Amino acid sequence: MAERLGRILMVEDDPNDVELTLTALEEYHLANEVVVARDGQQALDYLYCRGQFSDRTPENPAVMLLDLKLPKVDGLQVLQQVKSDENLKMIPVVVLTSSQEEKDMMRSYRLGVNAYVVKPVDFHEFVNAVRELGVFWAVINQPPPGSMKK
Amino acid sequence: MRWKLDLRYDHPILGYGLSLLCVGLALGVALLAKYFGVRDVELPVFTLAIAVVTWYAGIGSSALTVVLATLLFDYFFVEPLYSLVISPQDIPYFIIFVVWAVVVSSFAIVRRRVEENLRHTREALADRAAELEATNKELESFTYSVSHDLRAPLRHVAGFSELLQKHAASSLDDKSRRYIRSIMESAKKMGTLIDDLLGFARIGRAETMKGSVNLEQLAREAIADVGQEASGRDIAWKIGALPACHGDRAMLRLVMVNLVSNAVKFTRIRSRAEIEIGCARDDAREVEVFVRDNGAGFEMQHVNKLFGVFQRLHLSEEFEGTGIGLATVQRIVHRHGGKVRAEGAVDKGATFYFSLPKG
Repeated sequence: MAERLGRILMVEDDPNDVELTLTALEEYHLANEVVVARDGQQALDYLYCRGQFSDRTPENPAVMLLDLKLPKVDGLQVLQQVKSDENLKMIPVVVLTSSQEEKDMMRSYRLGVNAYVVKPVDFHEFVNAVRELGVFWAVINQPPPGSMKK
Repeated sequence: MRWKLDLRYDHPILGYGLSLLCVGLALGVALLAKYFGVRDVELPVFTLAIAVVTWYAGIGSSALTVVLATLLFDYFFVEPLYSLVISPQDIPYFIIFVVWAVVVSSFAIVRRRVEENLRHTREALADRAAELEATNKELESFTYSVSHDLRAPLRHVAGFSELLQKHAASSLDDKSRRYIRSIMESAKKMGTLIDDLLGFARIGRAETMKGSVNLEQLAREAIADVGQEASGRDIAWKIGALPACHGDRAMLRLVMVNLVSNAVKFTRIRSRAEIEIGCARDDAREVEVFVRDNGAGFEMQHVNKLFGVFQRLHLSEEFEGTGIGLATVQRIVHRHGGKVRAEGAVDKGATFYFSLPKG
């Protein structure tokens, strides 16, 4: 399963959610290639290889797990930036959020999100959702050419 | 043909101007009539002038008009003409004029007062309605964001409890394991409560899409929906002829599903459940539908609590549920302008009625 593991960029501000998601991914050996950005600004810095990430290899992640409620630059703004940039818009974006608000869903899809997943309260369901997301996007799905993989 | 401006408040000068204008016009017409030999035009035209001025310009201008009209009337139309003296045989005529002028202007003033009153009341009502709507919206969005923001920490409680259980399984004694299980169950319950509350709040915020709705079809769909809960059980379904009505199909479907699902739940104690959906009343103005079951029923003295949010009349060990189903039904029916009511007796089943206005 670790042959072609794509890099996962997780944008999530809540440390508990970060831990739970990473734990769920670890269970299925998908956690090795996860980069965590704690707010929208950091996420963009990572994607554009600037700021604290100016030394990294300039390759796109295989998938971006994006929370919507973020400090500084919020999820929808990040989504909009990514989908309007020629180099970044190929990155598959999965919104992973507590919000079931129709308007959030609408705006996300209008901006071109690839998937919208509502974080379940039930832990089993949460783990399942994360695992299926991880397996699909980082393993099964062929990321756009030029994306990072191990 | 009503001018919106209130001359008394906007421009008092305008009011007096109107007064002069109307009196002048009245005088002109009266003199013209007299010139052409048409008799007794002066009384009606001056009266009309007084009425018009009072109606549009208020008391001050009215008084001016009455005085002016009287003077002019006296000067031009009361013997001897062209003087302010009144000859004795014309005194009755003069008096009648003055009395009539005052009467007309009084009527006009009363009428104007009544209209003003109405306008103020209407404005106050509109203000109040706007206030209430704003408060309502605030409350709903508050409920929504509270329910929403509660989910994240709840997820963490559930998640870490489970991880704790897994990680420390070997080092935990029975009591600790039971404690953790209780934590997880409570977290799950809280999750359901929040979901229910969210759903409930959503009803208030969603747009209703009104159209013609076939209630009989909804009833059948509801029965199909609860099929899962009812599998393996002996349930006698009876569906009467239900009329079509006007409303939001998705919402009314939820009403039907909630009522039917309740009926199925509370008849679980019976070996043979009997559930009937029918039409209690169908007249020109509204239609009333009922869902009757032969289940556990309830005490009529608690009927007022039935439709409250999270109100339950049974213990959770007896019948599960958060107590939001009927509150949801009531909310939707009220949004359609209808009413809900219930009848029941302990151990003798229950009947739930909801009415919807037609057209």
